[in-house]
Amino acid sequence: MELKITELTKTFQDIHAVDHVSYTMTNGVYGLLGVNGAGKTTLMRMLCTLLKPTGGQITWDGKDIFSMDGDYRRLLGYLPQDFGYYPDFTVYEYLMYIGSIKGLRPVAAKKRTEQLLKQVGLLKIKNRKMKKLSGGMKRRAGIAQAMLNDPAILILDEPTAGLDPSERIRFRNLLGELAGERLVLLSTHIVPDVEYIAKEILLMKDGKFCASGTFKELMTSMSEQVWRMTVRRSEVEHYLNKYKVSNVRSVPEGAELRVLSEVCPLAGAVKEPAGLEDLFLHHFGERSGEADDEI
Amino acid sequence: MTRYELKKVFFRTGNKIALFVLLAMTGIVCFFACSVPYTDADGVTRGGPWAVASLRVDQKKWEGILDEDRIRQVIAENKRITDSPEYLSEDVTKNNIAYSWGQGIMEIRELLNRAYAEGFRDYNYYRANGLEEADAPQFYGNRIMLLEEWLRDEAADTFSEEEKAYLIHQYESLETPLYYDYMKGWSQLFEFAPTIVMITMLVLGYLVSGIFSGEFTCKSDGIFFTSLYGRNRAVLAKIKAGFLIVTIIYFAVMLVYTGITVGYLGAGGWKCPIQINQWKSLYNITVGQEYLLILAGGYMGCLFISFLCMLVSAKAKSAVTAVVIPFVLIFIPSFIANINNPLVNKILGLLPDQLLQIGAALNYFMLYTVNGKVFSAVPVLLTLYPALTLAFIPGIYYTYRRRQII
Repeated sequence: MELKITELTKTFQDIHAVDHVSYTMTNGVYGLLGVNGAGKTTLMRMLCTLLKPTGGQITWDGKDIFSMDGDYRRLLGYLPQDFGYYPDFTVYEYLMYIGSIKGLRPVAAKKRTEQLLKQVGLLKIKNRKMKKLSGGMKRRAGIAQAMLNDPAILILDEPTAGLDPSERIRFRNLLGELAGERLVLLSTHIVPDVEYIAKEILLMKDGKFCASGTFKELMTSMSEQVWRMTVRRSEVEHYLNKYKVSNVRSVPEGAELRVLSEVCPLAGAVKEPAGLEDLFLHHFGERSGEADDEI
Repeated sequence: MTRYELKKVFFRTGNKIALFVLLAMTGIVCFFACSVPYTDADGVTRGGPWAVASLRVDQKKWEGILDEDRIRQVIAENKRITDSPEYLSEDVTKNNIAYSWGQGIMEIRELLNRAYAEGFRDYNYYRANGLEEADAPQFYGNRIMLLEEWLRDEAADTFSEEEKAYLIHQYESLETPLYYDYMKGWSQLFEFAPTIVMITMLVLGYLVSGIFSGEFTCKSDGIFFTSLYGRNRAVLAKIKAGFLIVTIIYFAVMLVYTGITVGYLGAGGWKCPIQINQWKSLYNITVGQEYLLILAGGYMGCLFISFLCMLVSAKAKSAVTAVVIPFVLIFIPSFIANINNPLVNKILGLLPDQLLQIGAALNYFMLYTVNGKVFSAVPVLLTLYPALTLAFIPGIYYTYRRRQII
């Protein structure tokens, strides 16, 4: 099982939303990280056959996914960024309907719905209308619908956007549980969402993959190192303009900064192990003075 | 899938309100259709079941073949009434008493006004009062004679020779003498049918407009189109749901409307030719057949406009544009109808609003000549629109299944 992207391009007028991207994915969780507007959603929509590429190809086990038509959609589970639902349907009705359009026979759909409702913790409120669910519950209903057909490819576009921390953790655990023997592509701009569960991480910027690999590989590939240092409060602005700073914390002595730099930025600065957030900053971050950043 | 599509439509609050409005409007139209006044022997006008029963008794007395003898009797009866002191009196109550005597022959008297008119397009309410029994033999002959005169003079340039011959042939083909019966149930039903059909059409247009655009407005399009049947069977299920909504609601409304109107006023007279009610009509059909034409025409019109709404909403991803279509198709023709141009009139005669008022179309001399063969508008409408509606199905299907989510 292999999902292969070759020179994939999508252009909207003069804008290259996805620009000659190539990658091959097999089973496991892939984390797609990037700032807003990096092209993640456009890429995912093409992978879901919702959008036709301007150039390049996507193949599943060597077959073009657009030519596969229904045979590809049969393998697919998708949770879009703006998860839409039918507000007047109950959770149960909603899943049964999605089951029907996913080609599940009523008996199988009923069994699978009950099973997934239990798994996502919505069984007790299965007769509640979708519009009356909380944000987290809706997302859980969303993941349940994506899993209804037991997909070989599960594509989740910003599934944790707008969720509170506890719901995000719950969602992440649920995803780890459901990932199993399938290809999961999870797009997010919230770094911890993928830090622990992704087999490989893809960093997307300006429509291109700027880095990819396992967490370890990516960390090793970082040219900058992470430094912890304490400075006077009046100096914070200077360091923010000069370096990429991933954290500023007030301490009695002034401010403690977490700085990315190839060389030691200040005598007494202590080298720290890098995390995914540091990697994110390394690729997408700009020093305060450079531009309006989106982080 | 179709069941869930129907649920999506009927669960929506706006649609529930629309259905409630349709139900209320059906009730109101039925009320007006069933409001038949009757003036009693004291000159007092009353309504209600008693009025209906009294009118039926009066008119049933004149049931039968409208031959020369019967026309003579009607002329004589009318003369008896109009020569009476009550009719000639200046007292309104006495006038009303005289009017009450004529309610039995009211419909036939109306035919006399038309049959003995000065010209084909003339109408004089008092024309029947000037007739003598000796005029009776010309009753049916006048119908054809007035048409021939009109085609020779006033309408000489309006129709081709083939069309003129067709009209005269249709008039001559009418089987006479006509059979008369009490038919208030049907005449009232026909009078209010365009209103009820148009209201139903507007509500149906509103209901079906959201079937395709709903996925976009709910933002459920992504999940819908990535599902196995999202680009084939599920699209067909939406089309099927639209078809079922139009069919079930239209026939339910018409069943209620017909049931109440005809049930209350009586179903008699369905075997009578429509010329009893529409003297100049070129269509030689019975009242029962006219009802079926109205029913079929209204259904075809609703189906065509609803499918057009679905096509537009599938293309535009918005129900708003689609909802406007029925209003445009129903009301725009009445604005351009004032343009006195034969070509414009011919086009107007084939617009879908005509299907919603087939009863009125039966009165028009709207003819179309193709390869020297003349066709009247109603058969053309009933052939053209089913074909166009069928053509919409692949249009809707392919428009929606190819949709991309940007």
